[in-house]
Amino acid sequence: MDYKFPKELKYTETHEWVLLEDEVATVGITDYAQHQLGDIVYVEMPEIGMIFERESIAGEIESVKAVGEIIMPLSGEIMKTNSKIIDNPELVNSSPFEEGWIMKIKISHKDEIENLISVEEYIKVVESEEA
Amino acid sequence: MVKLDFIPHDQKTIQQMLDVIGLKSIQDLFHDIPKDLILEKLDLGAGISESDLFNELNEISKKNKIYNSSFLGAGCYYHYIPSLVDFIISRSEFYTSYTPYQAEASQGFLQAIYEYQTIITKLTKMDVANASMYDGSTALAEAALMATRITRKNKILMIEGIHPEYVEVVKTYCWGQNINYEIIELESLDSKLDEEYAAIIIQSPNFFGDIEDLKVIVNAVKNKYPKCLVIQVMTDPTCLGILSPPGELDIDIFVAEGQPFGISPSFGGPGLGILATKKEYLRKIPGRLVGKTKELNGEKEGFILTLQAREQHIRREKASSNICTNQALCSLAALIYLLCMGRTGLKDLAYQNIQKANYTKKKLLNIPGYKILNNKPTYNEFLLSCPDLDSLIKNCEELNLLPPLKISKYFTHMINVALVCITEMNSRKSIDLFLQAAKNSTSEEK
Repeated sequence: MDYKFPKELKYTETHEWVLLEDEVATVGITDYAQHQLGDIVYVEMPEIGMIFERESIAGEIESVKAVGEIIMPLSGEIMKTNSKIIDNPELVNSSPFEEGWIMKIKISHKDEIENLISVEEYIKVVESEEA
Repeated sequence: MVKLDFIPHDQKTIQQMLDVIGLKSIQDLFHDIPKDLILEKLDLGAGISESDLFNELNEISKKNKIYNSSFLGAGCYYHYIPSLVDFIISRSEFYTSYTPYQAEASQGFLQAIYEYQTIITKLTKMDVANASMYDGSTALAEAALMATRITRKNKILMIEGIHPEYVEVVKTYCWGQNINYEIIELESLDSKLDEEYAAIIIQSPNFFGDIEDLKVIVNAVKNKYPKCLVIQVMTDPTCLGILSPPGELDIDIFVAEGQPFGISPSFGGPGLGILATKKEYLRKIPGRLVGKTKELNGEKEGFILTLQAREQHIRREKASSNICTNQALCSLAALIYLLCMGRTGLKDLAYQNIQKANYTKKKLLNIPGYKILNNKPTYNEFLLSCPDLDSLIKNCEELNLLPPLKISKYFTHMINVALVCITEMNSRKSIDLFLQAAKNSTSEEK
């Protein structure tokens, strides 16, 4: 199965992608993750202003057959959430890295960026899950 | 081994099956059960014929006392059940059918549940109702849990006047989920409420019969703490024939005991837990939800269980509730009842309840020694202070009237106070008998 793995992004082992821009990280779920979940019907996003620690659960993604958790890749404050996916959750399926972005975080602990994995490491994670 | 006539396998077949799985006898299947727990013999006695059995049961049933009229409410109510209700629910397709997991084989019942959900929303003017909970008390407990999920706060404020047994059920659920609660007087609401509470719970009409001014109360709560939810509970929703529906009062979650809608009081059950809420809380609602949908490759409509990602079998320990059922047959009875009554019928019924209760109140006030303790308007129940309640109860029993509740059962300091319930089922004649019983139990004999 051919999944997209954009090279300029960082990843987590829990299938989130991260776009780093100075103090702000944009977060979403990967092409592999959306494929595993199936047709997404609802995204429960955190409220703006809420502060979460890295690896805590910020929200949930509901598909017709399962519920997946959105896990914070880094600690920080929620600055923005993607209002488009409230009415059009299917964007997370069709465009997981672009139109289907989920939230923007103000990074509080820059050293946590070291915990993110590279695209090559993430491809290995997917390959071992598929095996 | 006990020979069971209803098992179709003969010894030869049983032996073949045992050979395949490598066991010697059926007892080997139970070898994990400690020997001292294995049942050797069931001492049921010899069987008796059907006609002898009928006679024996008949004799036992004669021990039942059949009352001519009821003056007892307190959470379970004697209302008229149109014959159409039993006629429809007795159809074997409804009476014996199992949970509609397989939509393609359960369209009949799924449609019935969908229509029940719809009629509840029309009656309550709430946006969405679920397929039902077990009864009013657990529906209330689930509503409290739901409020903590929505607000992410884990404190509940209960206003005095909630049915004492409902309070106990809520306490049990709170204990299981580490939710804190406080019970306060309505007058203290303004001073006690703070932003730590997920919701307030208020019963109206309350356990003592009082109809609360919900418009004022909800406004007061929401003006100060707009994020605090208001849960309304009621035990006799026939009052919705007359009282303002929760949807018009900005109630966030509405729960009620649906037994008054076409379900016999029986021995106190089964009940029907009505739960309805606002559209924005739809995904936090517990229990089953039936939805209407279209075929993938066509235009035909059908019904399905929907939003199942809230439920246990998908979300497991994070599910909105551990319930994985609904009171299907009871909800069907309620649906048929409400369809029979219609809007005008239910209004008429509610009027009869109020008018008969008011007639009873008026007449009681003419009997020396009796006082009505309610300071607010009431629906079909009220608190009666009596000169000698035990004597009143005894007189009722002698006249074949099911006596009102002795309130000291729950509130030990309220001596000689009865919770009287009058419904459309109380004829003028039976009320006059009750008044007679009341007169005869005053200290001044006539």
